[in-house]
Amino acid sequence: MSLIPDSYFDYPLRRKGMDHDRYAARYLRDVPSFQWQGGKTLLVWACVHLEHFPMDMPASPVKPIGGMDRPYPSVWDYSTRDYGNRVGIERLFRVLDKHGVKATAAMNAALAPRYPHLMDEVLKRGWEVAAAGVDMGHLHHSRLSVEEERALVGEAFSTLRAASGQAVTGWHSPAHSQSAVTPDLVAEAGAKYICDWINDDLPYAFHTPAGDLTQLPLSYDLSDHKILGLQNMPIGDYEYQLDAAFDVLLDESRTRGGRILSLSLSPWIIAQPGRIDALDRLLGRFLKADGVASATGEEIRSQWQGLGIA
Amino acid sequence: MTKWREPYSYDYAPYAGRPKIEWPNGARVAFWVAPNIEFYEMMPPPSPTREVWYRPEPDIINYSMRDYGNRVGFDRMADVMAKYGVRGSVSLNVAVCDHFPEIIERCCELEWELFSHGIYNTRYLYNMTEDQQREIIRQSRETIKRASGQDLDGWLSPAISNGETTQDLLAEEGIKYTLDLFHDDQPMPVKTRSTNRLVSVPYMMECNDVPVLNFKNISPRNYLEIIKNHFDRLYAEGEESGTVMCVPLHPYLIGQPHRLHILDEALKYVTGHDKVWLATGREIAAHFEAHYYDRFTAWMQPFTAEAQA
Repeated sequence: MSLIPDSYFDYPLRRKGMDHDRYAARYLRDVPSFQWQGGKTLLVWACVHLEHFPMDMPASPVKPIGGMDRPYPSVWDYSTRDYGNRVGIERLFRVLDKHGVKATAAMNAALAPRYPHLMDEVLKRGWEVAAAGVDMGHLHHSRLSVEEERALVGEAFSTLRAASGQAVTGWHSPAHSQSAVTPDLVAEAGAKYICDWINDDLPYAFHTPAGDLTQLPLSYDLSDHKILGLQNMPIGDYEYQLDAAFDVLLDESRTRGGRILSLSLSPWIIAQPGRIDALDRLLGRFLKADGVASATGEEIRSQWQGLGIA
Repeated sequence: MTKWREPYSYDYAPYAGRPKIEWPNGARVAFWVAPNIEFYEMMPPPSPTREVWYRPEPDIINYSMRDYGNRVGFDRMADVMAKYGVRGSVSLNVAVCDHFPEIIERCCELEWELFSHGIYNTRYLYNMTEDQQREIIRQSRETIKRASGQDLDGWLSPAISNGETTQDLLAEEGIKYTLDLFHDDQPMPVKTRSTNRLVSVPYMMECNDVPVLNFKNISPRNYLEIIKNHFDRLYAEGEESGTVMCVPLHPYLIGQPHRLHILDEALKYVTGHDKVWLATGREIAAHFEAHYYDRFTAWMQPFTAEAQA
């Protein structure tokens, strides 16, 4: 008797296109050539993750990216992460201000009441506030009931909308983790874009029963979390890879059509004293090049929408 | 169930003292690139042996990371390979022929070889009966023929998940070469229960972007150095007897903007040497089978006898 049933050899979703109905297959080469507003070709999107990692956060079923490394109660892990909200963010503000970059703050809602100063500083700079769930201890995954998850989504949007006064149209699922219905719930709550899927370098339409969302590219492979946190590479390798990505994307943006370079930044990682200068150098180089500008997630979404590309 | 203590696909055969392999036009190294063009299902049926995904399904970060290769990475990789005149030998999850026929069309235009890497990378051979494995091999052959007109000659088990007798089945089903064995830097006859010949062709994990970049977390700049060093040594040794160098790649990794230059610089480096045969897996296996299979088998006799004693 085989352990593999006969049904294993049926492939009901083996068909043209994807094995789900969330988005269409699309090859980057087939996207018509276009320019962003003002004749720009490459938009740099700085997405700053403002995160709260509760000390008692669960480690399963999904360990959040950057989650606690040591047994409870890990003051070490907690305070290392909280450093980003006190010191790191200030350093990041200075560097981004210097280069005239308005970022998207992908914010855990729990931070709004905890650290109102943080929200004030974000708003003062004209940054966009996007919802990144409640906190890093409340990830979205398929073992939650729909009701539980709807409550988390609702709490995140209502808290951040009330505290920011902004429409809050963007959603980033903490740790790029979604359940099967996260996009539906987020669309119901009035979001216009998500940035959790890492399968493209340009936006695309993402279908939900509550209408289409725009899925924006937010690179995980180029995030400080992955390169510096997970892969333990020295900062020189971060700078090297971001530079290499910029070269390819800038060239494509001029020869093939508009592109986006996303910077996925966590203040407790990239804004350590020995690392922040690398970001300063990178932004200096990026924004000096012809045809490059920075934009927030919502600005990119709205420009993309205006282009009418599928 | 008794577990096998070794694969029984080959007997010990030292690197020294072998018959000399000569590649076409006096080349020292047969160089080939194996793009793995894969489809990972979002909600695959469970495997009794291993968890398919790392997070509760849908594991969207890991699913979409791989989907990037088909949407974006493949064309970037193909452009760079075409620039250097390097053909790919595609390790293909054959369901890609149905999901993304446009990718297969471009592979055919570029005169790349297609061989089987199973139906999906989320369907392992673990726990399958021999008949079930035969079904996968036959379906691979039919699908590749239908989509490209090509014959199926090569095999890399999906997610390298072979059973004990998979190599026997491959030979019985008429597969010409296997990539499942990592025991050598030269092609070798594979020992099977079939009278059909099966050749192992080197497929180098040391230069494979998944272990290098994903498992070992090596920086792209060091990856380039690994490939160059690997090539230099095989090129030097190839003067004595022809060697094989394989660079196995995944469009979802190498086709990322921050890594594409590795491929460009690696191919520039390799094609800058004159004693290199830019080959496909099929061509390497066929050349070995025609000229060296018998000589290697004869030379290996004492070692084979030793193993049987």
